[in-house]
Amino acid sequence: MTPAYPVVKPSHVKDVVKVEMSLFNSREEIEYYQIELFDLNWMNIPFSTTYRVMQVGYKEHKSFDVYIRKSDMDEAVYLCTTSKVKKTYESSTLVASKICSRLDGRPA
Amino acid sequence: MKYSVAILSLLAFPALANVDIVGNVEAKCVIQTTKAGVYGNPIASKLSTTPADGGVLPVIRYDVSIADSYTANITHPTAFSSSPSLTDTLAWTGSTSVTQTSVAGMSAYEAAKIVVGNTTIFDLTLAGSTWFSTASSAVYGSAKALPGGTYTAVVQATCIAK
Repeated sequence: MTPAYPVVKPSHVKDVVKVEMSLFNSREEIEYYQIELFDLNWMNIPFSTTYRVMQVGYKEHKSFDVYIRKSDMDEAVYLCTTSKVKKTYESSTLVASKICSRLDGRPA
Repeated sequence: MKYSVAILSLLAFPALANVDIVGNVEAKCVIQTTKAGVYGNPIASKLSTTPADGGVLPVIRYDVSIADSYTANITHPTAFSSSPSLTDTLAWTGSTSVTQTSVAGMSAYEAAKIVVGNTTIFDLTLAGSTWFSTASSAVYGSAKALPGGTYTAVVQATCIAK
């Protein structure tokens, strides 16, 4: 998921800001990704987007916008996408990948 | 006539312009599964991904485009995401190690790793690819035989911008 340090932009809604993100699916066995927003302590922060769980084909790019209330921006730190793993029928370990960008910018 | 030839020659002069191609490499982290893990069942009460136990270690590859921008946090399982009904406790163990690197200096990640509970944290200080493998084993309470069926557990591989 890019960018690692997204730029927060104004949206068309008052007191709501927008973050433009892009996701690339490099995992052939994964088809769905979930978008999540967390504070510094990994507690969920409310946000809005078109699809919280979106379908992204293998080697496919998908752009999406995340809308966050201005009042939540002091708390919002990690914007993450997590792969949704499928049930299998063999005794195995599955790998769930999560990639997180930072909304509070690169530390000095 | 002389003037018109001069004007025409000016008009026929090709327009030249320099067109720049601008590229930008930004910080990016890509996670791929190089090898899916499989549990072996060396004894009736144990499931393990260790090759000596008949299992296969899952291998996860991290690609980072810019040095010192991300940490890799890999969490080994402490529960099955799906299994037959179990009536006793499970004793879980696990660990994550660097198995392959694209840059020689990345081998230092192994010595510098931090283990917090069941999560192993690697500071990705160099750009390039790193392969990690995660060992996981579960032993059923009081050496009971595990019920027959399919057991699945999830390794959480996270890449967090610093």
